[in-house]
Amino acid sequence: MIPGDFQPQKPTGTQLAKLGALGAVLLGGFIGIVLVLTFVISSWLGRPVIFGHDGPDQPIEFPHETHVKELGMDCTFCHRNVEKEAAASVPATGLCMTCHLAVGDELEGITKMRSLYEDGRSIHWVRVHRVPDHVHFVHEAHIRYFSEKDGIEAKDVCATCHGDVASMDKVQQNRALKMGDCVNCHKQNNAPTDCATCHY
Amino acid sequence: MVDSNKWGMVVDIDRCTGCQGCVVACQSENNIPINLEEHFNQRRAIQWIRIERYWEGEYPDVKARFIPIMCQHCGNAPCEPVCPVYATYHNDEGMNVQVYNRCIGTRFCANGCPYHVRFFNFWEPEWPESLKNQLNPDVTVRSRGIMEKCSFCVQRIQRSTRESERDNEVLEDGDRGLNPACVNACASNSLIFGNFNDPDSTVSKMKEDAMQEGERGYQLMENLGTDTNVIYLKKVDESAEVTHGY
Repeated sequence: MIPGDFQPQKPTGTQLAKLGALGAVLLGGFIGIVLVLTFVISSWLGRPVIFGHDGPDQPIEFPHETHVKELGMDCTFCHRNVEKEAAASVPATGLCMTCHLAVGDELEGITKMRSLYEDGRSIHWVRVHRVPDHVHFVHEAHIRYFSEKDGIEAKDVCATCHGDVASMDKVQQNRALKMGDCVNCHKQNNAPTDCATCHY
Repeated sequence: MVDSNKWGMVVDIDRCTGCQGCVVACQSENNIPINLEEHFNQRRAIQWIRIERYWEGEYPDVKARFIPIMCQHCGNAPCEPVCPVYATYHNDEGMNVQVYNRCIGTRFCANGCPYHVRFFNFWEPEWPESLKNQLNPDVTVRSRGIMEKCSFCVQRIQRSTRESERDNEVLEDGDRGLNPACVNACASNSLIFGNFNDPDSTVSKMKEDAMQEGERGYQLMENLGTDTNVIYLKKVDESAEVTHGY
C-alpha cells in the first residue's frame, strides 16, 4: 500500500450509531423550530396558520351555505341574541327541530342532533371566535352602530368581522381579533378608546 | 342630560347597621374568591368593600360604630402615578380604573393607597365545585399576581349606558340597574350612587347640602387632599362624637 493513499474504511457500529443519533437530534431540533415558529406566527397573526387554519372540526357539520345561501335564512334567525345582548348566542336544538322534525332524514348529522334533542342535551360546538376573558365584546352595540351608520340590516353587519360565513365550508376565523385591530376600528369610528370600555 | 359623567357615592353612616349585606353582594357580583380564616390572618383577604367596626364607650354603655369603606375613586389618586405600566388610571367618568391585563403586580399602588382598598391576588382564585356556575360572566376572573379593587361595578354602568343609548333614553339615577351591587343590596339605603356632574341627581343634591359649614358631610382623610368621589355623612349622635381615626 502506498503511504498516503486513500483507503475507504467501513464505518464501525458505534460510528453509525453516533451518526444516527446526531441525525435524530438535528431532525428533532428542526421539527421543534418549525413548531415553535408556527406557534409564534399564529399567535402574532391571532389565528392558526398551518394546523387548523380552515377552522376547527365541529361535532356536527353544520353547512352554513345550505342554510344561508340556498334557503336564504338570516344570521339573526339562529343567532337571535345578537341584536339584544353581548353574546350572539348559538340556538338550542329545539330551534333546529322546528324544521328538522320533518326534513333531513337521510343525513347523519341530523340523526345525531335528533338523538341529542331527545336526550335533552345540547351540541358541544367548538368555539371559533374567542377573545380573552378580560375582554368584554358586546355584539349588540356594534350591530346597532354599523347598521345605523351604513343604513343596512343587522344581518349584513356580521360580515364586517366574521367574513363571508355563508360560503365557508367550516366556519373559520376571518379577522385577527387582536387589540390593535379593535383599537384601529374604534379610532376610525370615533368610538371610545378608554380601557374600561372593554376591560373590566 | 350632561355631557360627561362623574360617578360617585354618598355613604350615610347614620343609617348603616353594619349588616355586611354590601360585602356579600360585592363578593358575589365581582367574582371575588372566598376568604378563608388563614387569608385574614395573613392580612391577604380580598374585600372590595368592607365594614370597619369600632367600639365606643365602656361596658355597659358600649356602642358599636360601623363604617363601610370601598375604593374612594380619588380625583388625586395616590395609586395612579406610582404605577409603572399605567395599569391604573383615571378615566373620563371620574373613576379610578384598574386594567387587569396591564397589571404586572408590583403592588406599588397598594402601598400608595391610604385607605387600604387595593388587594393583591396572592393565589389563583378558587371556588368550591358547587359555586363554579355562579361566577359573573361580565367580570373578569383575576388570576394570581395582579391587583384588584372596587370598580364601582363598571360592568353595570357600561351595560346601563349602552342600553339607554340603544333606547334613546336619558340615563337617570338608579335606572336599569346602574347602581353597584352594594348599593342595591343595602337594606337601610345608607349607600347612594349617582352622577355628580348632573346637578339634579340625588348624590349631587346630598353633597351640596352635606358639605356646607356645620353639616354632616366629610371625605375620608380629607387632609391628604385626595379629592375623593365618595362622600361620608357622619353619625347623628350628640352623645358620642365620631372621630375620623386620624
